[in-house]
Amino acid sequence: MTAMPSTPSRATPLLRTAVIVLLVAVAFALPQLLGGTSVAYSTLTTIAIFAVMCYGVDIVLSYLGEVSLGHTLFWAAGGYAAANLSVKYGLNGWSTALATIAICIAAAAFLGAVTLRTREFVFSLVTYAAAVVAYEIAFNWDAIGGSDGIVGISALKLPFGFVTYVGGTQEELWPVALVLLLLTLFFISRFRRSRLGTTALMVQMNPALATSLGVDPRKVRLAVFVISAPITGLAGWLYAYQRAYVGPDMFETYFLVMMLTAVVLVGRRILIGPLIGTALLIAQQNLLSLGGDWNKIILGSVLAFVLIFWPAGLVGLFRRFSKNKA
Amino acid sequence: MNITQQIVNGLVLGSGYACIALGWTILLGVARLVNFAHGQLYMLGAFVTWYAMTKAGLPYPLAILVAILVLAALGALMQGAMMGLVMTQNLTSLMIVTLGLGYVLQGGSALIFGGNPQTLSGTLSRSKVDLGALWFTWQDVLVLVATLLLYGAVWLFTKRSRFGSVIRAVAEDPKLAELFGINAKVVYTLVFVFECSAVALGAALVAPRSPILTSMGFNEVIMTFVVVVLGGIGSIGGALVAGLGLGLFIAFFGAFIAQAYTTAAAFGLLLALLVIRPEGLATK
Repeated sequence: MTAMPSTPSRATPLLRTAVIVLLVAVAFALPQLLGGTSVAYSTLTTIAIFAVMCYGVDIVLSYLGEVSLGHTLFWAAGGYAAANLSVKYGLNGWSTALATIAICIAAAAFLGAVTLRTREFVFSLVTYAAAVVAYEIAFNWDAIGGSDGIVGISALKLPFGFVTYVGGTQEELWPVALVLLLLTLFFISRFRRSRLGTTALMVQMNPALATSLGVDPRKVRLAVFVISAPITGLAGWLYAYQRAYVGPDMFETYFLVMMLTAVVLVGRRILIGPLIGTALLIAQQNLLSLGGDWNKIILGSVLAFVLIFWPAGLVGLFRRFSKNKA
Repeated sequence: MNITQQIVNGLVLGSGYACIALGWTILLGVARLVNFAHGQLYMLGAFVTWYAMTKAGLPYPLAILVAILVLAALGALMQGAMMGLVMTQNLTSLMIVTLGLGYVLQGGSALIFGGNPQTLSGTLSRSKVDLGALWFTWQDVLVLVATLLLYGAVWLFTKRSRFGSVIRAVAEDPKLAELFGINAKVVYTLVFVFECSAVALGAALVAPRSPILTSMGFNEVIMTFVVVVLGGIGSIGGALVAGLGLGLFIAFFGAFIAQAYTTAAAFGLLLALLVIRPEGLATK
């Protein structure tokens, strides 16, 4: 466990708040500390957006123990909602974000309800197939962009009463991405201690106990799946503004493999695990890239390697290593 | 639109779906394992066949054999790496690991075979059969005959031979089966090797119909999911019937409603079935 999740439990509330405020301030100034270049801003913004994307999968995989292979659908839904509504109807960022949340909840509730009575792997299979079908629809339906997608998405506008925050450049989008990431972290930490979060963990660890306590594991799965969808969706929403383009490439397997790898790399059920995992993977792809095909081999191998050899992730490896030395 | 022609097209499509889905059906139904690298294995099977024919100059039947052998070896390697997860029946991790390995295969194949689309020529897909208003190719006949023969052979093998019951015993409880002197690891490896060679054969037979790309993955064989679930997970006869039925459905849907949304239609069919009969059509 790293500083953030472990310190709060013992420390006084005041100290805890001070530590969090300090960490947030450091995080906010991080692009400046790294040189303040445009590359620093865009890389950190991408890391924040991708981390939020991964937290959607994290909830399902780490706390429920099931695999959703359909989160690219929510990721793309956010992007398409932002692009279509802002380009065609001129809606501001709040409206497109609300639409994203509504679409993702509706889609997840539908898929979850349809697979409610099926076995676990059928759930994974149907979520995967749903993403493939959504890709086909997005690719063929010209009204929402078709195979060319939507180009020229205008800057993100977030009105606060009389003042409007405009996120046009990477520098302006960084605070938005950071706030979205912090809200997500806050939400996940609340979820971990919530009734649903602890029930989901019980269903994963001891299904027999959960059933004997009157918990229906399938309903828990539906609830966790539904609340996970808008998280990944909102990441896609911001990604659309960052890239100013949305197209069928948002359904690519890359995003799915990225989400799963970032979650398992550091270790499951660690609050900032997916964030660190995302940062490590994006750093490799942006700064130590070996070309697209080699990056695929690296990403896929990391995913398979971690699950086969260190199921507890880097943290588990570190623990085993320090135990051996002691 | 000619109805009889659409029935022929449906059987052609459907036998292809059933052929590609055979390995998955066995893997899931008999050994209760999943493999999300199936799409990339299909891609690799097609590209090994292409490579053997165009670069090594082998005739088509030999190229098929090479593809089967290469993928069988790859299957043994993959299964060896995943053995720990398989023996503990860790289905969640297996799904993710196979997805990751599929991604590795995709990157590796792009490095080896290049990023351009290729076509498998020199097969029977150019030799047409015209029967009045109807037409199909000899390749289509080959796929249909091979699929029927394969399903028949596999059905006989799993139901009638001793090894069939050994596999089922291992799927039921690998630890218990080992107490009875069955080497579960060998059984799992053989089933997985069979899955990989079956998909190689399916790819070598079906892929000549359309251009092949290293980036084609599960999207290309998404019908496998539909066939396996429609057929009632792991039922061999069910998968054959589901494959042919789905082919007919797709042929008619594509011809009369919308060609672009055939996958969506198949998915709609799958969802409707999951709501009505969550365990599939062919449940006992």
